[in-house]
Amino acid sequence: MLNTENLLNILGLTSAATIISLATVLAWKMQVLTRLQSSVDKLKKSLDEMDEQAKLIVRTDMELNKTQEELDKKITGLYALQRLSRAISTTLEESQIFKRIDAGYLEDTGFEKALAFLWNEQEKKFLLYLTIGYIEDEIEAIKSFVDSNQDLYLNLIKGEKTLSSLSADTLTKKNLNHIFKVSSFVISPILPKEGDKGFFFVGTENVDTLITEGDEELITILANQLGQALENARLFEQTWRAQQDLEMKVEERTHELTRALDEVKKISKRKTDFISSVSHELRTPLTSIKGYASILLTGKLGNLAADARERIDKINRHSDELAHLVNDLLDISRIEAGRVMMKPQLENLKDIVEQAVDLLSGQLKEKQIELRLDIPADANSVFVDKGQIERVFINIISNAIKFTPLEGKIIIHSHKLDKTLQVDIKDTGCGIPPEALEAIFEEFYRVDNPINQEVKGTGLGLSLVKHIIEAHKGKIWVKSKLGEGSTFSFTLPQSV
Amino acid sequence: MCFNKLDKMAIKVGVGLTTEKDHIRAAKEAVNQARINIHTDKLDLAFVFSSIEFAHSSVFKTISSLLGEVPIIGCSSLAIISHQGIFKHGLIIMLLSIPEGIYFNTAYVKEVSAKSTATAGEELGEKLLYGFKGVRRDLSMIFSDGLIQDGPGLIWGLQEKLGMSFPLVGASASDNLSFQKTYLYFNQEIFTDAACGMLWGGKLNFGLGIKHGWKPLGKPRSVTKSKGNVVEKIDNAPAIKIYEEYFAKDISELKKDLKHISILYPIGIYLPGEEEYLLRNISSIKEDGSLVFQGNVPQDSQVRLMIGSKESCLAATRQAAEEVKKGLLGRALNFVFVFDSVSRYILLGRQANQELDIIKTQLGKDIPVIGLYSYGEQAPLRAISYLGRTYFHNQTVTILGISA
Repeated sequence: MLNTENLLNILGLTSAATIISLATVLAWKMQVLTRLQSSVDKLKKSLDEMDEQAKLIVRTDMELNKTQEELDKKITGLYALQRLSRAISTTLEESQIFKRIDAGYLEDTGFEKALAFLWNEQEKKFLLYLTIGYIEDEIEAIKSFVDSNQDLYLNLIKGEKTLSSLSADTLTKKNLNHIFKVSSFVISPILPKEGDKGFFFVGTENVDTLITEGDEELITILANQLGQALENARLFEQTWRAQQDLEMKVEERTHELTRALDEVKKISKRKTDFISSVSHELRTPLTSIKGYASILLTGKLGNLAADARERIDKINRHSDELAHLVNDLLDISRIEAGRVMMKPQLENLKDIVEQAVDLLSGQLKEKQIELRLDIPADANSVFVDKGQIERVFINIISNAIKFTPLEGKIIIHSHKLDKTLQVDIKDTGCGIPPEALEAIFEEFYRVDNPINQEVKGTGLGLSLVKHIIEAHKGKIWVKSKLGEGSTFSFTLPQSV
Repeated sequence: MCFNKLDKMAIKVGVGLTTEKDHIRAAKEAVNQARINIHTDKLDLAFVFSSIEFAHSSVFKTISSLLGEVPIIGCSSLAIISHQGIFKHGLIIMLLSIPEGIYFNTAYVKEVSAKSTATAGEELGEKLLYGFKGVRRDLSMIFSDGLIQDGPGLIWGLQEKLGMSFPLVGASASDNLSFQKTYLYFNQEIFTDAACGMLWGGKLNFGLGIKHGWKPLGKPRSVTKSKGNVVEKIDNAPAIKIYEEYFAKDISELKKDLKHISILYPIGIYLPGEEEYLLRNISSIKEDGSLVFQGNVPQDSQVRLMIGSKESCLAATRQAAEEVKKGLLGRALNFVFVFDSVSRYILLGRQANQELDIIKTQLGKDIPVIGLYSYGEQAPLRAISYLGRTYFHNQTVTILGISA
């Protein structure tokens, strides 16, 4: 009994102890579980917080990406605009301007379709100059639509306004989208200062494209560039046409002048021929007159009364002068007609001058005129027809003697030029009035002065001189001051 | 279909590029350039990629008449990639002269949507294997219509025939982002709703790199209900909720901004052992809040919202190029294929050329490069647990360097 009781007691105690320890363990486990749960809760909260942060990051990232994309689009558009501008501004042909718009560049602006129409005032309709991204059938439909809605586009041109999916009212937008087969578009007027104006259309089928103010601006700039290019091309065309006209006029005028010159040449030739034949005709009777006068003067046909002798003597002298005149005339006309061939040879200038001076020594002595030669060795050799050049010197020197007063001076000087040689014949004579300087080389011109009135001359000497010098491809001119003297200068060839 | 046993020495390469608008002139120019650059008359194979305006029968008839019997494969793209740059409008052709000991076979399958994509994949696999008995198979390259709904199905079908762990690299053709039609080129023909490819065998060596650069953000979530490429529930809520929460936008706003959001913030599927998450772009949002992805998302997979930047994108390109070098074990590179996601082209914008610069810096300035922008890339996963099995990727740059 006792044992049983003891056993029960022991069992009860053990159970109680077990229960107590189990309860303790349970309590401890519960504590751990609570701690773990709280950690899990903390972790879950962190995770949720992180997820919230992730949402913020995603939203910010999305905004950033959108901005970046818009920026990219703008930069690409600007690059394309720059390339398009360069392409259209480097041609001055109106027909080429629209052909320079490359589909690839256009695509970079965000549009794959484009059209350009210009208003034709004569036909009173819009003509199509550019199509990108359309097929033949679509183009025909668009053309007839544009024609039947001219006012819309003429108003855009008049108002200088850009119309786009951004600014158009819903109905217009819907209408234009349908006609031009796009989901977004920009239409901007092309406004050259002169000539036909028009409009530039761009559009895209891409439904994701939203037209921004930037797009409007970009296309407006491009349309302005087109207007500028058209203006430049037209100005160039005008200038070119004016120049062509001018060239044609100059050509016509040249033609007229050539004809007139030919006429003058013909007349001049006729004159030369006339003088030549008259001179020939005069020479024959003159020779007889002179011959008979000379015979009469010799007295072979009987002595002449003093009066008669005096008159016959005059006839003889005047015949000489007349013969001289006729000879000069003949020479001039021969040279003019090219019938006298110059026979140039290498000659010594000093020799030629000295021979001429020799012939004139009597006159020089008579007027006590000092003649000085200044012909240096390097300006002495000439390639000329000796006889003819001698005549030049005789003519000029005898003129100088004629117009130089007693005890005057004549200086003959030569100097080398580039390929020719210049001769100056300077006198201390009465000089030539300025108004006569140009004319003295003309035929039959005689300066109006007392000496000329007293001393006879033909007025052909200097003309002949000029002809001879020009036949040597030289030039002759004169400088003079009244009362101080004159300097006749001419050039002569030194070699062939 | 053809089967070729080829000559000795290394593969010779000649690339021709044109941006000429006239189709016939463009085709002639590209072929002539490539012929000049290859320095041999023995031509065995041609790859052609082009922008969609060249997806015209006159182009391929001209190329074919100039090249004779040479097999041609390729596809259309948003833009073409070459070592000379990236061209939005153009056509590139790469001619190969392949030495003895390297084998290849080309094939195509059409009317894919009339069959199941898996069946089409199996058919293509079978055609590619024709005549490959007793020859070591190295690599398969596939181009497929970028608008085929179930891209992974095609891959699965191919794997049924070629082997689950067989290296398979591919790209889905793209168009000018209008998502209307993408084209496949095979000999002198052009197909839509089709796939074409080739099988390499013999002594071909290659290095492959595939990376995207997107990083996970926010809480991991579970796909609680999905079928194929349609995810109905994430964390037991309509799948769209994840996007609604993160962007503080409702379903209609999200739909409006979908292209943007889909490219910049795809979801990433966590793959144990893989360095990067497998990305999935949203292709559409259903009324009930389900999300349709460009690629399958298995039920019970862990997913996260992903975020990328131009920098991370370019860093990934560098890593992918480095992996190509690693894979080649020091062998000299002959030429490089680049299959780049159109998403990256859009994200990088004006900096798209920088990707090419990085590839050239890593792999060599003068190495011929030919590539395209795709609506999806296919390449094997590296992690051991995936046994090198090929998956359908989004947003990646896949670089394939060939050495032979």
